Amino acid sequence: MQHLSRRHFLLAVGATGSATLLKGCAITPPSPDALSPKAQALTLSSLTAPETTVVKLGYIAIAESAPLIIAREKGFFARHGMTDVAVSKQASWGAARDNIEIGSAGGGIDGGQWQMPMPQLISEGLITKGNRKIPMLSMAQLSTQGNGIAIASQHAGKGFGLDVSGAAEYVREMKASGKPFKAAYTFPRVNQDFWIRYWLGAGGIDPSKDIDLIAIPAAQTVASMRTGSMDGFSTGDPWPSRILRDRRKYGFLAVLTAQIWPSHPEEYFAMREDWVRKNPKAAKAILKGIMEAQMWCDDPKNRAEMAAILAQRKYFNVPSDLLIGPYTGEYILGAERKTVKDEKLAIRYWKDARGSVSYPYQSHDLWFLTESVRWGFLPQGALGEADRIINAVSGEKFWREAAQELGIASADIPPSTSRGIEKFFDGAEFDPEKPQAYLDSLKIKTMKA
Amino acid sequence: MASSVRNSSGFRIGSMEISTKSIKKYVLPPAIAIFTFLALWEALSASGITLLPGPSSLFTDARTFELVRYPFYDRGGIDKGMFWQTWASLQRVVISYTLAAIVGISLGIAIGTSEMLSRALDPLFLFLRTVPPLAWVPISLAALNKNEPAALFVIFITSVWPILINTAVGVKQIPQDYINVARVVQASKQKYFFQILLPSALPYIFTGLRVAISLAWLAIIAAEIVMSGIVGIGFFIWEAYQNNYISEVILALVWIGAVGLLLDTAMGWLQNKIVKQ
Repeated sequence: MQHLSRRHFLLAVGATGSATLLKGCAITPPSPDALSPKAQALTLSSLTAPETTVVKLGYIAIAESAPLIIAREKGFFARHGMTDVAVSKQASWGAARDNIEIGSAGGGIDGGQWQMPMPQLISEGLITKGNRKIPMLSMAQLSTQGNGIAIASQHAGKGFGLDVSGAAEYVREMKASGKPFKAAYTFPRVNQDFWIRYWLGAGGIDPSKDIDLIAIPAAQTVASMRTGSMDGFSTGDPWPSRILRDRRKYGFLAVLTAQIWPSHPEEYFAMREDWVRKNPKAAKAILKGIMEAQMWCDDPKNRAEMAAILAQRKYFNVPSDLLIGPYTGEYILGAERKTVKDEKLAIRYWKDARGSVSYPYQSHDLWFLTESVRWGFLPQGALGEADRIINAVSGEKFWREAAQELGIASADIPPSTSRGIEKFFDGAEFDPEKPQAYLDSLKIKTMKA
Repeated sequence: MASSVRNSSGFRIGSMEISTKSIKKYVLPPAIAIFTFLALWEALSASGITLLPGPSSLFTDARTFELVRYPFYDRGGIDKGMFWQTWASLQRVVISYTLAAIVGISLGIAIGTSEMLSRALDPLFLFLRTVPPLAWVPISLAALNKNEPAALFVIFITSVWPILINTAVGVKQIPQDYINVARVVQASKQKYFFQILLPSALPYIFTGLRVAISLAWLAIIAAEIVMSGIVGIGFFIWEAYQNNYISEVILALVWIGAVGLLLDTAMGWLQNKIVKQ
């Protein structure tokens, strides 16, 4: 009798204990404060109603992805009929490329955020498995600026600023001593690779010969900078903020891409061409959602909310105050850690000093291809093919149609596919009509026949 | 009946005896070892010698503590509590592991019984089993061109080897006496297989199965990076690594370890039941 009641007692205690525990566990942690209301749905005509409401877009958790996330969270996609847009966080650029090759039918993605010229490289089968050509359409530029080069603190005072020619001797000495300057980016032959190469090249340092440049995951680069085994990192927000915020002060922001090339093209929105051809109205609906999100992101009164949404665990997973600075153009530059606040340096999503950020200028596609030729990522003959490649991949027609359907003022719709002459901080000029002249004018290059 | 043996200082639940004596013998030593380990770790990280956060960071770090406190939350998408992340991964592991068990055991028996097959396949297997899980990722993606099967394949190919090899060894080492007895009683092939070969090889098979469970978990990170943007403990760890939330990685490891322990205990219990027969 005593034995039975003891067992009963134990079971009873166990049951009530686990019940209370489970009840406590079932509660969801407190969620962020109520945000502003979502966008209102539109009534869609048969002309604009999308063929499908389901699409899967991939993104990488950096500032350029904000339009995709905001369009989803604030209902801009749903407003135009795309009610089932999945924004899928990709593990890396390599994973994103793998997933676009597979497509959503195989569990991958239909489109998303890309560094340039990935859509062109994938369409030509240059970075895909088995060199399969997977045609893509690049339909909008997502953002401008917001990237920079971080340098490890041990190189403070050696001349790493906008003009890096003062550090050229130092870098060459490092190479001669057997421990070359090592810098990293997250994916080769695209944006971040170009930015650090341009910056060094302008200062007389040959990035192909004088330093070691490699592709490593961002977290690994940061960890290596902390231990002193990585010297430079070409990256985008929020990484610079993360590096600067660390109390060990192991790195400083040497230069911003906004200083190298004001209002430069950054990352783009592109999709698989087969999906767009099959669902053109849906593609335009997605574009309209992205455009509205871009306009929303640029509005100063939405910044706090934007930072709060992006900082969530399911998106960037960072403390939200990390994201505010770059949007107002506030950066801590240089080894002296001087706070610079200049709206011209801020990330912009819709409009910048030179006009439209969102419109995918073909002259920019040409710059990316030309720069690829400069560093030998593409053979010189690629310049002859440039027109064909650019026309095949450019989705600027979709952008125009979407902008018109959205009712964008014609003043905000660029009249030409070219943005004209581009000027860089070192005085170089890129004329889209004469890309060869640009190449000839550059002193440091590593062209391949 | 329940009250067959009654120890005045304890009681029974089923066949498990809980008394101060058994607590001292089975619970105390590991508890002391674990406690010492945690204390040493905490001391090391508090002293600043290492950058690794100590076990207390699971409670002191606000982000991590939120995960500790609410393991069952679901805020949609991949924003789910640790329990759901582990559960999603467990499902993947179970599917691949079952496949690995089936393939491993059948191939292992085939290799163990056929001398020629063994000679033919040994070098190939020796080569394949040294390939690290992450290296299988691009290969499986190119071969299968689909996300989920590729991820499951990565787990499968990592965990199949111990099962295969141990089964083959177990089959090969059948004592000559057993084989002689089978010949003497002129046992049919079927009888030989089920009543002599399998029971004798079973302990080896189970060793392989238990080793393979931990290997299956090893591959989960590689597999979930393949899939990207999904609920799973592997992707969770990759994410935490990207953002440098080391305490979250530690929390994930605690969950993985706990599940691994549970699975191994279950496997051991299964082994006891079957081998006893």
